[in-house]
Amino acid sequence: MSYVRQVYAIIWKDLLLELRTRERIAAMGAFAVLAGVLFNYATDQTIVRPQDVAAGLIWMTLVFGGLLGIGRTFHLEAQDGAFQGVLTSPAPKDAIFLGKTLANFVLLFVVSLLVVAVFMLFFRLELGSNPGMLVLTLALGALGFVALGTLFSAVSSGTHMGETLLPILVFPLLVPMVIYGVSATSRLFADRPVAEVAGNLRMLGAFAVLGVAAGAVLFRYVVEE
Amino acid sequence: MSIHKLRRWGIVLGSLGVLGVLVLHALVFFWVPTEASQGIIQRIFYIHVPAAIVAFLAFGVVAIAGALYLWLGDEQLDQAALCAAEGGMVFTTVVLLTGPLWGKIAWGTYWTWEPRLTLTLLLWFIYLGYFLVRASTENPERGKRFSAVVGIVGALDIPLIHVSVLWFRSLHPGPVVFKTSGPSLAAPMSVTLGVGFLSMLLVFLGVFAFRYALETAKRAAEMRARANA
Repeated sequence: MSYVRQVYAIIWKDLLLELRTRERIAAMGAFAVLAGVLFNYATDQTIVRPQDVAAGLIWMTLVFGGLLGIGRTFHLEAQDGAFQGVLTSPAPKDAIFLGKTLANFVLLFVVSLLVVAVFMLFFRLELGSNPGMLVLTLALGALGFVALGTLFSAVSSGTHMGETLLPILVFPLLVPMVIYGVSATSRLFADRPVAEVAGNLRMLGAFAVLGVAAGAVLFRYVVEE
Repeated sequence: MSIHKLRRWGIVLGSLGVLGVLVLHALVFFWVPTEASQGIIQRIFYIHVPAAIVAFLAFGVVAIAGALYLWLGDEQLDQAALCAAEGGMVFTTVVLLTGPLWGKIAWGTYWTWEPRLTLTLLLWFIYLGYFLVRASTENPERGKRFSAVVGIVGALDIPLIHVSVLWFRSLHPGPVVFKTSGPSLAAPMSVTLGVGFLSMLLVFLGVFAFRYALETAKRAAEMRARANA
């Protein structure tokens, strides 16, 4: 099997598993909606306009909700030694990492669209005139996030602290993603010209490339016995 | 190097370092001239900046030794990374204690989202994660690999974090020492800073050597215990 097909096989397996159990997507989706409900009571909308705070809240929902699902990437397979089977398959470890990362990306990307939809519905948020760029911003941010999330989910699931360790490991590393993601998103909501977010998107892209490359190289050392 | 030799090095370097730190304090309090614009509080600079340089240097050692450990699998490299991380965390703590003290007078607030202060705080938490993964794995080999991964990814991400927090907001003065036009510090200030850096580096190396000897003895003892069991 060629490399691409191996990656594709892992993606397909993970997505199929998720489609059948719907555990993680349900948890992340419910988190997104319920967080929106709580934000409604946590912010006084007679004082702050949704446009002013939405960008930050959307990214925080993504980070917290995303960690909820991404942290359980290896949970199901840890049972009955299923992950050992994946590891002994002929697919190289970096192909497994890329497959898992991309499957997680699909999940988180869907959730990020849901989060934006929740904010539009609950807070009458207006997207600005460039929804395409907003989708690109979310996609680049989500990719960097799931790359680091998947790598460190493998780390934390190998410790007895489990998922409680994940935020401590990942949050310090996510600072660039949050800064550039929130900045780009709030500018897009404010209908600023696209040229103003180009730099932010480049940095989000660099962050994603760094995460994916580092994960692909280092993943084998996390999972090998 | 044998444990005894290492320990001796640790004592020599560490003592020299501690002596240097005492001299540094004498220089800071009695010798170096008071800086014109910030006044007396600027003297904390000679403690703060050398500690920061050593803290980041130590993290470089953690990442490089960690990467080499993953590549070569040599136990001693992991040991070096661990000992550097412990020393680095101490110096990062020094930076985080002296920074806000200085900031309270110079900027009027203990904490501000100033890029280098933020970066140091995040570095402290990356170090924390490094120790937590080590402490929470039953299999020590696994803990070594996990912590190496944390150190490497942390070191790769630090430039990006730096650029992003810098872009977010900057209050720190521009470079005053390392720049192409030569340092703009008065000579006694440069000397004091040099003494500070040198003595803190010696403290770090001393602690490192001492800790390394201890870790070697500890691992040898564990090996013996396992062989006897």
